Amino acid sequence: MAATIGVPAFAAPPALDSIAPDFALKGIDGRNLRLSEYRGEPVVLHFWASWCGPCRESVAALDALARRSGTPVLGVNLDGADRAAAVAGSLHLTTPTLVDAQQSVARTYDVAKLPLTLLLDAEGHVRASWSGVPADLSELTPQLERVRQY
Amino acid sequence: MKPNSNPLLRFARLFTVFALLAAPLAALPSEGGAANPKTVDQDVQALKKQLIDLNRDLFKLEEELLYPASTQVAVFLSVDVGTFFALDSVTLKVDDKEVANYLYTEREVQALHRGGVQKLYLGNLKAGTHEIVAFFTGKGPHDRDYRRGTTLKVDKTVGARYVELRISDRAASLQPEFIVRQWE
Repeated sequence: MAATIGVPAFAAPPALDSIAPDFALKGIDGRNLRLSEYRGEPVVLHFWASWCGPCRESVAALDALARRSGTPVLGVNLDGADRAAAVAGSLHLTTPTLVDAQQSVARTYDVAKLPLTLLLDAEGHVRASWSGVPADLSELTPQLERVRQY
Repeated sequence: MKPNSNPLLRFARLFTVFALLAAPLAALPSEGGAANPKTVDQDVQALKKQLIDLNRDLFKLEEELLYPASTQVAVFLSVDVGTFFALDSVTLKVDDKEVANYLYTEREVQALHRGGVQKLYLGNLKAGTHEIVAFFTGKGPHDRDYRRGTTLKVDKTVGARYVELRISDRAASLQPEFIVRQWE
């Protein structure tokens, strides 16, 4: 079910409780976003690509979660601006879609399997992660609530 | 090398923080004694201030060790007015090697417009002549994509060298202007 990308097999996403590395990327709307500017509130970070089947399902579900809960969901697409914009348009995404065509952020995060979803707390610590499978909303939603109250 | 990667300095920081945190424990009243909440609060505030001062001093020390004045070169970026140019990113090359590539968010651009100065690069260079090239990308007049490069030859001597990249407006030609200045 998981899609793998060209990083070493021993790669692993940031460990739980570690600080998610900061980055800045350009969104499909042309705006630049920096992860650290979201400090102070929980954030869901989601790496995806158009060629990864489960990613579409996951990105749509997380977009719905963002609309429902108001939690910022940052999608990091690994294709390219045009492809990312086309998919985001077809899925009617309302959350920011950032483009990492050079996969520099994906390398920093050691993204070996897609989709990769990380739940970050208000201080940027990784509180939960789902790699190679869509984030389970029945797990993510209560964890998000806990992180909010923390 | 990252500024915080020196294990000796990290140990020194940790040791000092622990020492500072442990100090008030020794001063706690003995069992049965009542501590004045106001005094405790004042002590905690004083301790916090000491910690901040110490952290600043250690940061300065770390910077002096990692980037001694004899080799230090720092590049800063500032924006003066900037109505003819909306900054998107800056790429900095020193002697044809890319040393910084910075993407600016709206908030960061606003901060620069309010007078903020960004330390874009801090590094070490040997004495002699070096070439610093900065590429600015963004939106120019009439909202058109704009990319501009500027080059500076730096004669590095024994003292620290500071370079300021400044984005300004040339009102006469309604064009942005990229000024490079050196400070010693």
